[in-house]
Amino acid sequence: MRHKVRSTQRGRLALGAVTALSLAVLTACGGDDGGEGDTDGPVTVTVATFNEFGYEELIEEWNADHDDIKIEQVKVGTWDDAKANLYTKLAAGSGLSDIEAIEGDAMPAILAEADAFTDLTDAELDGRWLDWVAEKATNSDGQMIGYATDIGPEGICYRADLFDKAGLPTDRAEVAGLMGTWDDYFALGEDFVRKVPDTAWYDSSGGVVQAMLNQVENPFETDDNTVAVDNPELKAVYDTVTTNIEKGLSTRLAQWGDDWVASFQNSGFATMACPGWMLGVVEGNSEGVEGWDFADVFPGGGGNWGGSFLTVPAQGDNIEEATEVAAWLTAPEQQAKAFAAKGTFPSQVEALDSPEITGASNAFFNDAPIGEILANRAEAVTVQPHKGPKYSDILTAFQAAVLRVDDGSQPADESWDQFLTDVEALG
Amino acid sequence: MKIDGGDTDTPRVSPPSASSTPTPADVPVRPTLRQRLAAWDVRLSPYLYISPFFILFALVGLFPLAYTAYVSVHDWSLLGGQGDFVGLQNYREVLENPYFVKQLVNTISIFLLSSLPQVVIAVTLAALLDSQLRGRTWWRMSVLLPFVVSPVAVAIIFGSVFGDRYGLVNELLGAIGIDAIPWHTDRFASHVAIATMVNWRWTGYNALIFLAAMQAVPRDLYESAELDGAGRVRQFLSVTLPMIRPVMVFVIITSTIGGLQIFAEPRLFDETTARNGGPDRQFGTITMLVYDFGWQLRDLGRASATAWMLFILICVFALLNYYVIRRIGLLGGDDR
Amino acid sequence: MSRRPGFLVYGLLLAFVLGSAAPLYWSFLLGSHTAQVAAQGVPPLLPGGHFLDNAQRVLDTVPFWKALGNSLLVSSVTAASVVFFCTLAGYAFAKLRFRGSVPLLVFVVATMAVPTQLGVVPMFILMSEFGWTGSIWAVMVPWLVTAFGVFFMRQYLVDAVPDELIEAARIDGCSQIRVFWHVAAPAARPAAAVLWLFTFMQVWTDFFWPLIALPHENPTIQVALNQLQSGFFKDYSLVLAGTTLATIPLLVLFVVAGRQLVSGIMQGAVKG
Repeated sequence: MRHKVRSTQRGRLALGAVTALSLAVLTACGGDDGGEGDTDGPVTVTVATFNEFGYEELIEEWNADHDDIKIEQVKVGTWDDAKANLYTKLAAGSGLSDIEAIEGDAMPAILAEADAFTDLTDAELDGRWLDWVAEKATNSDGQMIGYATDIGPEGICYRADLFDKAGLPTDRAEVAGLMGTWDDYFALGEDFVRKVPDTAWYDSSGGVVQAMLNQVENPFETDDNTVAVDNPELKAVYDTVTTNIEKGLSTRLAQWGDDWVASFQNSGFATMACPGWMLGVVEGNSEGVEGWDFADVFPGGGGNWGGSFLTVPAQGDNIEEATEVAAWLTAPEQQAKAFAAKGTFPSQVEALDSPEITGASNAFFNDAPIGEILANRAEAVTVQPHKGPKYSDILTAFQAAVLRVDDGSQPADESWDQFLTDVEALG
Repeated sequence: MKIDGGDTDTPRVSPPSASSTPTPADVPVRPTLRQRLAAWDVRLSPYLYISPFFILFALVGLFPLAYTAYVSVHDWSLLGGQGDFVGLQNYREVLENPYFVKQLVNTISIFLLSSLPQVVIAVTLAALLDSQLRGRTWWRMSVLLPFVVSPVAVAIIFGSVFGDRYGLVNELLGAIGIDAIPWHTDRFASHVAIATMVNWRWTGYNALIFLAAMQAVPRDLYESAELDGAGRVRQFLSVTLPMIRPVMVFVIITSTIGGLQIFAEPRLFDETTARNGGPDRQFGTITMLVYDFGWQLRDLGRASATAWMLFILICVFALLNYYVIRRIGLLGGDDR
Repeated sequence: MSRRPGFLVYGLLLAFVLGSAAPLYWSFLLGSHTAQVAAQGVPPLLPGGHFLDNAQRVLDTVPFWKALGNSLLVSSVTAASVVFFCTLAGYAFAKLRFRGSVPLLVFVVATMAVPTQLGVVPMFILMSEFGWTGSIWAVMVPWLVTAFGVFFMRQYLVDAVPDELIEAARIDGCSQIRVFWHVAAPAARPAAAVLWLFTFMQVWTDFFWPLIALPHENPTIQVALNQLQSGFFKDYSLVLAGTTLATIPLLVLFVVAGRQLVSGIMQGAVKG
């Protein structure tokens, strides 16, 4: 009945468990009370970012120059994860970093909850940003809740080698002349797909939807945020995009999916709407493929896709210091350097003229002067769509409606009806 | 079958009685300290043994549960916080949501496609591993390999394998002349793909659970069955299966619960940025709907209501499974 | 099962093992090529020569060793804790009679049916109250006991510990705790081994909660691996090199402790 051998084994196991637990306790207790309430040491301001903001060297620069405030970056992979983290901790009331970067499309929802964020309005920073950018961060009470970091002015990336195959001009300036309006762009596309079979004109319907919607003044909501999706402009965009699917202009793939990534390597399409940050994606996905170029044109004039903002959550402990750091990080000189590091195009007016921008060129894109092109495109932006709190949700439903036509699971008119029902169910 | 501790410290030789109070004629009037301690030992120790579990459980299991129930009857925005009490309105809105029924059906479909093959294959695998294999330990450990692979990698690899246009499976099908299957677009195909991901990961683990249970089956039962002329398969059906019934119940109930809660795999399988289970929610599950309401639409009220409805659904299914198992006679007795 | 297994058995097992191992090999495969190759739909069959380069990039990009250490610590401690508390509780539910045991057990099992995604918000509030956010405790506490563990041990112990043994021990004069320690615990070993493994892996692969609860400099391995996907461009060769690297210690652990684990599973209860 007494198993001597087993009891020593069990004794050892128990000892092991106890040791492990005590180690855990020691580690835990040792780790967390570290730098709290230390009035003599420097204040650490945490900056939470996602994707690549290009802040690494800037932060080193600041930390070398400042003794009273130190910056620490907290990076998450994607906006998706950052958003989950942000929303959870907003709901819980604690745990956010001192500065939280927020993606542009989520700003309308954030503006609606302005109590959770500090009012960053500062007269000294008036005119720092392009008008339409500053508007995106300002709520209905006129308070500026975020400082814009980068923007995504769009040009057209194209495969010069495929253009050549279709007998189309390949020179950047010439191509620019051919795509001034959406009608021209699509007509050129129809020409292309006739001459080069098995290759689509653009990378995805989703990309074109984004581009076109960013030129409509009230795509989903009226200016007082009433949802009004059954409007002629939106229907026109929908009809155009879905008709193009039948004409073979779209790859019929979902942007960012595995097949979409693979299509870069398989020459699945010839052009795409490229904001500044997309250039890096194209380059990465197209490694080994030659012939990409970047034209200084955008159908409809100009468009902006993307861009982020730095906000200061009201729940933090270091509001003043965080505001100072945020203002510094989003100053023209700093953003220009971030651009040089990671390609995040500045939203600041002065930065558009800086040497980092005007001199920037990209070897992968046939040495295109991307800085100049993007600056031109940024200045060509005329319309900024009104984005109310439900913008992101309705956009998701709209993109889903287009994708249903793309993948053939629903005809266009049925999909539109389902979109209308979905929007109603948003509540 | 439970054992009730008897009062073992009295000087009598009679076996432990069902009650812990000795009859007055046999023992001294006041029980000794030892006797009292022993009685307390018996009465209190069960509670003592389960209390560490329940204390921690109250914190990490009950509090979130109660919180969720509380939230579900309020108008509660994720960012804005608590609103008015709205009774069952959230539940009504969820039921009326155009995608609720569809995602419900998806959930049940994916559940059946994953749990049924899993249990069957796992129990068969365990039976195979229960034999006198050469290199037994290595075989047994190798069924755990899927467990070791990071979910990130699983998503990337299976996404690539089941890619509609450039995926491996469709390439292979094309090579033997079969049309490509739209894994992401077609509703049933997407369920199969996701169930494959789930099964791949969990079958080995369930096999080990069954194996552990099979190890406790006394060998002489097999010997006598063999003497009676039963073949391997017959032995398996008549000896092994009945003997592992509590663990079988466990596996079936936990696969039911887990299978109806599937979240990560369909989410990662979705190529669209919204990750709701495809543009037409053809493979969206109820748990994904919970996430959609909570973190995308930022409505915690509806999210909590959906969670509680899923809870009811799971309870129904689990009970159903339990009674079906009893009926079929995989179980003999009244054990759970 | 005294007969030696034939080719059919080995064949089936081999097929299963190959199927299980294929994705692991695949991730190593893609991790050893350049990003361009990794992005294609159909991978080449043989590894390229870039694994060490990619691995180096992984180590440069994320706090890999720290994350690995955190994960190992958290997973082992929680697994041990779950085994200990749940064996105790499972034994009580299985073999001891006390008032309310059946409804309590049903309640515990029922709680498994509520999806955990929503628990994140109240859990975070709780952790903040205790001041644990930012420390390893935040990731360990929610996993110290699981309903799954209690249910599992209960189901196993119901049959694995014969009542006669317990009776005999009681007649011998053992107190409850000694009965547990000398009769139930040895019999529980196979299930305990399996439960330990399961909990270890569950905690190891948990992503969402550690993402929220832990500070950036002190992540667990899944969070660290996810950071490899930052930026709009996903370099699959980098990510998969990272996941392969993260798998190697697990494989080592399995080889070293695997025998113990599996022999624990192999050891049956006292034969009747």
